[in-house]
Amino acid sequence: MEKRFSRQCFLGGESSMLLGSVNVGVIGLGGGGSHIVQQLAHIGVGKFTLIDPQRIELSNLNRLVGATLDDVENKSLKVDIAERLISRISPDIIIKKHAKKWQEAAEALRGCTVLFGCVDSFSDREQLEIFSRRYIIPYIDIGMDVHMVDSEYLISGQAILSMPDNLCMRCFGFITDKVLKEEAHRYGVAGDKPQVIWPNGVLASTAIGLFMQLITPWHKKACSAYLEYNGNTFELSSSFRYKAIQGHSCHHFDPIDNIGDLFWKRG
Amino acid sequence: MKATFKITRKLFETAKNDLLRRHKYAHERVGWLRCRLGDISESEIVILAHDYFPVDDNDYIKTSKAAAMINSSAIRKALQLVLDKNVSLFHLHLHNHNGSTTFSGVDRRENNKLIPDFWNVRPEMPHGAIVFSRTSLTGRCWYQKGTTINFSKAIIVGTPIVFIGV
Repeated sequence: MEKRFSRQCFLGGESSMLLGSVNVGVIGLGGGGSHIVQQLAHIGVGKFTLIDPQRIELSNLNRLVGATLDDVENKSLKVDIAERLISRISPDIIIKKHAKKWQEAAEALRGCTVLFGCVDSFSDREQLEIFSRRYIIPYIDIGMDVHMVDSEYLISGQAILSMPDNLCMRCFGFITDKVLKEEAHRYGVAGDKPQVIWPNGVLASTAIGLFMQLITPWHKKACSAYLEYNGNTFELSSSFRYKAIQGHSCHHFDPIDNIGDLFWKRG
Repeated sequence: MKATFKITRKLFETAKNDLLRRHKYAHERVGWLRCRLGDISESEIVILAHDYFPVDDNDYIKTSKAAAMINSSAIRKALQLVLDKNVSLFHLHLHNHNGSTTFSGVDRRENNKLIPDFWNVRPEMPHGAIVFSRTSLTGRCWYQKGTTINFSKAIIVGTPIVFIGV
């Protein structure tokens, strides 16, 4: 094992090779995604597919890991900032970047080993999960929010692992028609959603743990997870809903038409 | 052209456990995997396993020439699986050991006879054959007439993800 990874040797003799061979797709390179790519690069992931259409703004600087004031002045693309962050950690990492909406670069994600969704909307989350199941790819979702509850702010968030042969985000009750409808109703309403760096760090680190359990596990507990974060009490716990439906099967993706290319044709 | 094969851990275990059941006279069992395809690039496809269908007990032929031989009824039922849907069909059997595995000479000979017949009902899709061990697998895809491809990589998607051929 390379000296560089000697402190993570408990992950197994093959861990460096395995991590070096996987291609990880990260969709959304803001507050959550920038933490994710930084940690994956440190761990030794060898290939990245990065997707984000946005350029950095001054209001992103409070949480976008690796970003600088120069980036704000230059209106740098978030994929370029992520690429620079990764390459400085390890210049040999292979990076494919797409400054587009993920739906316009979805072909590039088909060959990924795992997908991280670090997006803002529930509809994007649902579509990413549908896409992941179509190509039998584990999907890890993170996100945070700040709500007003009883005249106090409550920071909350989630880290979810959706495995292709296990319960999905609809089974978890995280994606519902009601939530999607409310989101569609709010579409276009002006105003920045509150976002801060420290809950993103907790959730991103948790998501990396879920990822490591998939690639090079250090204990035997099987995963698929819906972890809820309470940023006021600083507690991360398995969702009650998740615990209640253990042993159930997901039937949201049963028909065979839900996997593979919709209209595959010999090239 | 390169081919990657993907299957969930749950489906791998379901098929494996079925194939491990003893038959009253056949020495091994046979099944079918229905798969769909995706393009990874211009030179790489991904074969995505969706569901498993065992060969019925009565559709095995008593023979000493092979560990398992199936009758025309089994073939007819298999072809029915691809008749209604735009899917690929993979013949599946198991070599009962751990670790990496390969097709035997008999497997290769019989596959060469059997698999191209699937094009009679579903010519627009590749088809193929897969052999499992208890912990691994290998496979071959009949991509189009005159072009067969060995799986370059197989991935069992579970916890952990198992990479074969990486």
